[in-house]
Amino acid sequence: MHYAYPPRKDSHPAPFRPRRSRLLLLRRSQLKTIILFGLAVLGFIWLLSSSKHKGPRVITGRPPVVVVTVFDDKYDNTAYSQHIKDNRIQYAEKHGYGTFIAKASDYELSGAPSSWSKVVAMRHAITKFPDCKYVWYIDQHALIMSPSSRVEEHVMGAQRLEEMMLRDHSIVPPESIIKTFAHLKAHDVDLVLTQDKDGLATTSVVVRNGEWAKFFLDTWFDPMYRSYNFQKAETHALEHIVQWHPTILSKLAIVPQRAINAYSSVEHGAQYKEGDVAVVFAQCSGTGTKSCANEAERYSQQWRASFGASH
Amino acid sequence: MTFSGSNAGAVTWESARMKSQGVASYPSFSTHNQGFFTRNMRRISSSLSSFSARDDAGYAKKDDLKPAQCRTPLLGRIRTLMARTSRKWKIRALITIILLACYILFYVTPLHYYWRRTSWLGGGQRFVIILAANVGGGVMEWKGAREWAIERDSVRNKRKYVARWGYELEIVDMSTKKRYAHEWRESWEKVDSIRNSFKKYPKAEWIWWLDLNTFIMEPSYSLQSHIFNNLQKHIYRDINEFNPLNLTHPLQANYLDPEALSPVGDGNVDSVNLMLSQDCAGFNLGSFFVRRSEWTDQLLDIWWDPVSYEQKHMQWEHKEQSALQQLYTTQPWIRSHTAFLPQRMINSFPTGACNANGNDTRIHYDQNDRDFLVNMAGCEFGRDCWGEMYNFRELSYYLNRNPWERFKEDLVAVIWYKLTGQKVRL
Repeated sequence: MHYAYPPRKDSHPAPFRPRRSRLLLLRRSQLKTIILFGLAVLGFIWLLSSSKHKGPRVITGRPPVVVVTVFDDKYDNTAYSQHIKDNRIQYAEKHGYGTFIAKASDYELSGAPSSWSKVVAMRHAITKFPDCKYVWYIDQHALIMSPSSRVEEHVMGAQRLEEMMLRDHSIVPPESIIKTFAHLKAHDVDLVLTQDKDGLATTSVVVRNGEWAKFFLDTWFDPMYRSYNFQKAETHALEHIVQWHPTILSKLAIVPQRAINAYSSVEHGAQYKEGDVAVVFAQCSGTGTKSCANEAERYSQQWRASFGASH
Repeated sequence: MTFSGSNAGAVTWESARMKSQGVASYPSFSTHNQGFFTRNMRRISSSLSSFSARDDAGYAKKDDLKPAQCRTPLLGRIRTLMARTSRKWKIRALITIILLACYILFYVTPLHYYWRRTSWLGGGQRFVIILAANVGGGVMEWKGAREWAIERDSVRNKRKYVARWGYELEIVDMSTKKRYAHEWRESWEKVDSIRNSFKKYPKAEWIWWLDLNTFIMEPSYSLQSHIFNNLQKHIYRDINEFNPLNLTHPLQANYLDPEALSPVGDGNVDSVNLMLSQDCAGFNLGSFFVRRSEWTDQLLDIWWDPVSYEQKHMQWEHKEQSALQQLYTTQPWIRSHTAFLPQRMINSFPTGACNANGNDTRIHYDQNDRDFLVNMAGCEFGRDCWGEMYNFRELSYYLNRNPWERFKEDLVAVIWYKLTGQKVRL
C-alpha cells in the first residue's frame, strides 16, 4: 500500500501539557463543601417555596367556647333577660368562656321569623371570637344549671361524644329514612344536635368553629330557605339541609336530648333531671303559669345555689 | 516487513531533514510550516482516494491479504478522523451526540408524555379535562351529520391536547337520562360528572370542564404555563373588576368576618377552589376549573337543592349556571373561594355570541392575540355550530403551522404566485 506520506509521530509536539478538566483539579474536600453548599441552597429554596402554601388559619382555642344567646326584642332590658344574661355570664366567667348576647333585630332577616336570628348570631359569634373552638348556642328560654360542666369535655370530649352519639339514628323520627352515620368518629363531628318529640331541636346547638362552620351557617341562613315559609322556620330548614346534603350529615352527631337540651316539661321532650347541663323552657308562653318568666323563676334558686356553691 | 522498514527509514530521513533545515535556517525566523497547505498537506493527501488498481489481477491477489481497514474505507476514514481529532473536540462531539440522542429519545419515544404526566415532574396528572358530549342526545333530538361532525372534531381536539400534555380526558355523556326525567334535575349532571371524575382520577387536583362547542385554538399552551404557574397574576377575585351582573361586592352585613367582607377573600391563591369566567350576561360555565377540596365537595353538594330549585327554576334560564350565580350572590362562603379568569384566557367567544354591543375586546376571540380556547356559546340557537367549528379548526391549524409549512405557503407559494399568477397548494 502506498501512502502519500507515511504515518508518523507528530513532529510538533504541543508546547504545553494538555489542560485537565477543572473538576479533577478540585480536591475531594473542596468538592464536599461545594456539594454541601449546593444542598443547603436547595434546601433553603425548598423551605421558602413550601412556606408559601400555608393551610387554613390555626384556631388557638381562646376562649375555648362562646355561649350564644339571642333575645327577642320584647325581652330587651327586662328582668327576665337580665336573669338569663346573668346566668350566661356567670357560667362563662367560671370557665373563661366568651359570651355573645344579641338582639334579634340586630340582624336583617328580610321578613323571616325572628327565630332565624340564632343562625346569624352564631355566625356573628365566630366573627367576634375567631379563635374560639366551639360555639354553643342556647336559647333565650333556657338556663345553664350545672356550673361544673365544660362544653369541650362534657359534650365535645372525644370519648364522651363517641359514647353519647346516636349512630344510625333517624334524623326525623319515625319516618325519615335518612339516618346519622353508623361509623362516625368524634374528631369528624362539627355539629352536635338533639332531638325532641317533634324532630331536630335547635334550642341548644354546639358547632365547632372552622371553615365548615361558616359553610354550614351560611347554607342554613340561605335566603331561599328563609323565604320558603317552612312551618317551623329555621328548625325545618335545618332538617331539610341535614337530610339533603351529605356534607352536612357527615359532620353531624345527634346526642341524647338531656346531654345539652333537657326540657322543663315532659310534654315536648326529655325532662330535666338534677345534674343536667341546662334546662330549656320549651315552647313556653308569654303569660300564664307556664310562662317563660315563671319557668325561669322556678329554676332561679337552683342555679344560683349551685353556682354559688362551686365558687 | 519491508513496509515497516521503509516506514521507519522515512521517519529518520524526515527527522534528519527537518533537523538539518532547522540548523540551516535563521533561528529567529522560520519560513516552514507557515501556509495552510504546508501544514495540512499530509492530512489532505491522506484523505484523498488512494490509488488502487482493482482490475489488475496481480494486485487483486495482494488486496485479499490487506487488513480489513482497507476493504471498508468508510470505517477506516472514520477511524483516521477519530485519531486526528483532538481530545477536547472528541469530548465535545460526544456531549453533542449524547444530548442529541437524549433529545430524540425524549421526544420521539413516549418518554416526554410520561414525563409530562407524572405528578412530581410535569404534573399533567393533576389536571382532568371533562368534555360534555352528546348534549341532550337520545331523547331531545336526532343527531345529524353536522352534530356528529362537531362532536368528532371537538373530541379529537381535546384528545390531541391531553395526549400532548399528559392530562386526563373524561368524556361524559350528557344525554338526557331517564333517571332524571321524573325529577327536576335535567342538565345538572355536571355536578355528578365532576364528582365522579374526582373519584375516578385520584391524582387529579384541578378539573377543567369544557362544553362540547369549544375548540382549543392553541394546543401548544399547557395549562401550567398558561394559567397555573402564575395563578395569582391571572385571576381576579374582586368581581368589581368586571361585573356584568352588577352584584354588590363585597357583601355588606354586620355579622360577617373580615375575610367574608374582604373583596378578595383571604387573598391567598391557595384558597381559590373555583375559577370561571364571565361573559356579557354573567357567569359562564362553558369552561371552568374546580379544585379538589372540601369546599368543592360542599359546593357540589349544595349546588342543587330542591327548595331553591322549587322557588327559582322558572327564573333560572341557565339552570346550574343561574343556581351558581344565586349561590355566589347570597353565600359568603362561596364568594371567598371563587376567583375569575379574564374571559379570553379560557373562554373566548366568536363574534356571533354576546354581540349586542358590537365587538368587545374583553369577550371576543382575536387571532392576533392567539387566544387559548374558543367557546361557540349559544351557537345552537340560530347560528351555524358546525360552520363556526370548522372555521375555527382551520384557523387553528393555520396559526399553528410548522416552520416548513410556513416556508412553503408564505414564501414559495407567494413567490410562485407573483411569478406565474397561479395559486398552488404545496
